[in-house]
Amino acid sequence: MARAHTEHALSEPGTEAPPEPEDISVEVSHQVVGRSPWELFWRRFRRDRFAVGGAFVVIFMFLIAILAPVIAGFTHGPNEVFLDRLDSFGIPTGPQSGFPFGVDTAGRDLFIRVIYGARTSLFIAFFATGIATVIGVTLGMLAGFFRGKTDTVISRTIDVVLSLPVLLLALGLVSACGLEKNGCLGGIIKPGLLLISYVIGLFSWPYIARIVRGQVLSLREKEFIESARSLGSTNRRIMFREVLPNVAAPIIVYTTLIIPNNILFEAALSFLGVGVPPTTPSWGKELSDAGTIFTVAWWMMLFPGLFLFFTTLAFNLVGDGLRDALDPRTGG
Amino acid sequence: MPDVFPGGSLGKGRKTKQLRTRKGEGGYVRRYIGVLALVAALGLVAAACGGDNGGTTGGSGSTASGASGELQPGGTVELAMLGDVSAAFDPQKEYYSVTWEWYRCCLLRTLLSYVGRTTAEGGADLNPDIATDLPEVSSDGLTYTFTLKSGVNYGDPFGDVQVTSGDIVRALEREADPDASVGGYNFYYNIIDGFSDFGDGKADSIKGLETPDDSTLVVHLSEPAGYLPYLFAMAATAPIPPNGDAPLGAAEGHTKDYGRFLVATGPYQFAGSENLDFSVPADEQTPVAGYEPGRSVQLVRNPNYDPSTDGLRPAYPDGFNITIGGDNNDLYNKVQAGELDGVVDGIVPPPVLRQYSTDPTLQPLLHINPSDAVRYISFNMAQPPFDDIHVRKAWNLALDKAGMRTLRGGESVGEIAGHIMVNSLENNLLADYDPYPTPNSAGDINAAKEEMKQSKYDTDGDGVCDDPSCQDMLAVTDEADPYPDQAALIQQNMEPLGITLDVKSFERTTMYNKCNEPPAHVAVCLGPAWGKDFPDGYTFADPLFGSAAIFPSCCNYGLVGASSDLLSKAGYDVTDVPSADDQIKSANQQTGDARFQAWADLDTNLMEQVVPWVPYLFDNNVDITSTRIINYSFDQFAGLAAYDQYAIAPDAQS
Repeated sequence: MARAHTEHALSEPGTEAPPEPEDISVEVSHQVVGRSPWELFWRRFRRDRFAVGGAFVVIFMFLIAILAPVIAGFTHGPNEVFLDRLDSFGIPTGPQSGFPFGVDTAGRDLFIRVIYGARTSLFIAFFATGIATVIGVTLGMLAGFFRGKTDTVISRTIDVVLSLPVLLLALGLVSACGLEKNGCLGGIIKPGLLLISYVIGLFSWPYIARIVRGQVLSLREKEFIESARSLGSTNRRIMFREVLPNVAAPIIVYTTLIIPNNILFEAALSFLGVGVPPTTPSWGKELSDAGTIFTVAWWMMLFPGLFLFFTTLAFNLVGDGLRDALDPRTGG
Repeated sequence: MPDVFPGGSLGKGRKTKQLRTRKGEGGYVRRYIGVLALVAALGLVAAACGGDNGGTTGGSGSTASGASGELQPGGTVELAMLGDVSAAFDPQKEYYSVTWEWYRCCLLRTLLSYVGRTTAEGGADLNPDIATDLPEVSSDGLTYTFTLKSGVNYGDPFGDVQVTSGDIVRALEREADPDASVGGYNFYYNIIDGFSDFGDGKADSIKGLETPDDSTLVVHLSEPAGYLPYLFAMAATAPIPPNGDAPLGAAEGHTKDYGRFLVATGPYQFAGSENLDFSVPADEQTPVAGYEPGRSVQLVRNPNYDPSTDGLRPAYPDGFNITIGGDNNDLYNKVQAGELDGVVDGIVPPPVLRQYSTDPTLQPLLHINPSDAVRYISFNMAQPPFDDIHVRKAWNLALDKAGMRTLRGGESVGEIAGHIMVNSLENNLLADYDPYPTPNSAGDINAAKEEMKQSKYDTDGDGVCDDPSCQDMLAVTDEADPYPDQAALIQQNMEPLGITLDVKSFERTTMYNKCNEPPAHVAVCLGPAWGKDFPDGYTFADPLFGSAAIFPSCCNYGLVGASSDLLSKAGYDVTDVPSADDQIKSANQQTGDARFQAWADLDTNLMEQVVPWVPYLFDNNVDITSTRIINYSFDQFAGLAAYDQYAIAPDAQS
């Protein structure tokens, strides 16, 4: 997972490529207009048609996730069972009037299950990514800013986490913490969506941490940091006021790129049967349910699969677009 | 017991005796072998890549028939098992229907045994096997006398040794040893006088077992127990040959692994048994080649077996090759393609079941038989709101039993259950009995609400529970399909009663453990099933409703008959629950038709006065065979195909 990000991370710091001249040349030929960084970003991003398309898909997914209960009001509840939509062998029936995506093995409307699945996926993706970002930025900042022993300890921890067999460990953790109603670690981690989010977050922070560390390492040598320091700023102030705003762009980019990975991670866990609780809709679980029956019920694999595919693709496109727009030095 | 609707977690839906074993000083423990979800998922991928070979078998189904006129011995049957047996074929430990069938059909003879047929064909009746006749019973019901046939010899390497009564005693002494019988069912034998004393090391021999000569075994009981003869049809009493002066004979030194040195008495033995050498110390012996744990089993004919001493086993095939492992769907594809003759412990996938049920050429290859098991929902009677009988009755009325069956695969997977004990154990006395009938067995929410109105948890009498205990009650089920689907239906059925469930799903063994532990405070257990050990109602009574079967023993999940002391220790406010102990005890003293009636009375009482369950399905065993197999028989005892009666078409024997 996220091998590509790691490579970017390694090539990121210190590559002081010359600024792209094209923007400037375009502008001098016209009236010179002062543009804010935000405007510059938006102009660049808008030109990337794939990124804009991805953004529309992401927004669409958000909308259906938020509006799922409203949509359910017009169709069916996500756990409403329609036994008459199963044949006499309990095999589900396909797309039909009232059930555009067909029904699943329990006779539930697959359409509304997939819509609700967007809720699960997006919730976990954002919550887990949030956890990963907070941990990653904090530790990356500390490591890059203080260097020395702090850096050694944090960097080696990153190496250790990256070398863990993530999926196996996550399987174990989720099973162990899902056994008791009170969860594990004295009730801090409870079974359910949050548990999955914690586990996923726990394994995806190192990517962010590495990137932030690299950026901070180069930034802390810059003149404006020197001047802040000579003016008597505290370390904390330098970190929050001077360094953090300058690493915001890569953080946003790589956070966006981690989201699709986390969506897939949740799907994988649910596919393997340790994900979300049994009645909670999830794309990964729908795919897993389809596994034994897709030869006679293709819709059970197609629709959740398509939604998973397009959401993941959209986040990746948006992430790439953001990177190009926020950080033109990397080119592309 | 068969789970007919496979899904994400294959390999867990194993057909097993989902029964209990006594652990240490007395815990019954489920004997499911869990398979990692990961393995199952990888298998799914493999199945997905394997494609669909369906259709290749069409048209050749006409060779399959039940006709037994021209059955010829010969050929080797190719089978697959999804998982290994539970205790590596150790007869004192194996508490698993699959192994029991391999013992019965093929490997081990016992004093009494079964014919490998359905109940209607006499498959539940005991027949003499090593014994000359059924045992003579003394008038007080305390003494049973068995006489042994002469000329019953062991398989290799003891081909010239004849079975004696002392060999049966040897097996029982091994069964009494808690180390040798760990995970087994030795609790059934405690009625033999001195059995537990020997096991505890308090005696040098089992006082209640006498061998006046080599062909006579006298068994003395400490109390009358009508089920005793059944115990001598179980593999734990299969003879173990003597070996020098070692007390345990050939099993000496093999406390943990006798199964891999098993000396057969049946028509088959493990391939390579002739190379077993019991003359060297146990730790220098080489296990038999015909069983590689986790990989394969190979059975060949036992050259020392004399069919004239055996009226129970036709033993048509020359041998069996059984692979262990694989993916359920994939294995059934192989059966359809003719690469395998059958899957021993698999679950026929719904699409395959539909294909075989609807295609007339394939129908003869589909075999559906009642497996003498019940599926049910179990209430924790000490956990509000289930301490109120009206709530429990309301569930019985609200549940859509027909829907529960549809989610398992439809009508072929079983019969809707109106009571607890399977009909064959009650001689069909309650065949039409259902104290909570609903239209089409689909549940009746109005009747359920009427019942709920009488409950103390419905204070305003509107038929809807208004107590907080009805909200988000902890419900536990199996994570394998179709249990989560069934949980969704149950939730939907109970919602109009004001009941909402917090459903947690677990790997099957964990689920059973959760349901069984009173401190876990599971309110309702959605996924259990129960099958008989032997054809007597006792196996549906004491282990399920006796107070002795409450944790750390097993399987009385509803806490029927729990003492107030036990309840308070487990943290319950409820101090009093109904008990069935006295009725079980008195029923067990009956014999003959009165015994059937006593079990039926117990069943009625449980359904109407105690109400610890919603029973919803009497399970069927669903099996398909390849076109090579022209004779199929169902063994009611193990609830599986009788493999010795598989016959391969003469033109397919090469």
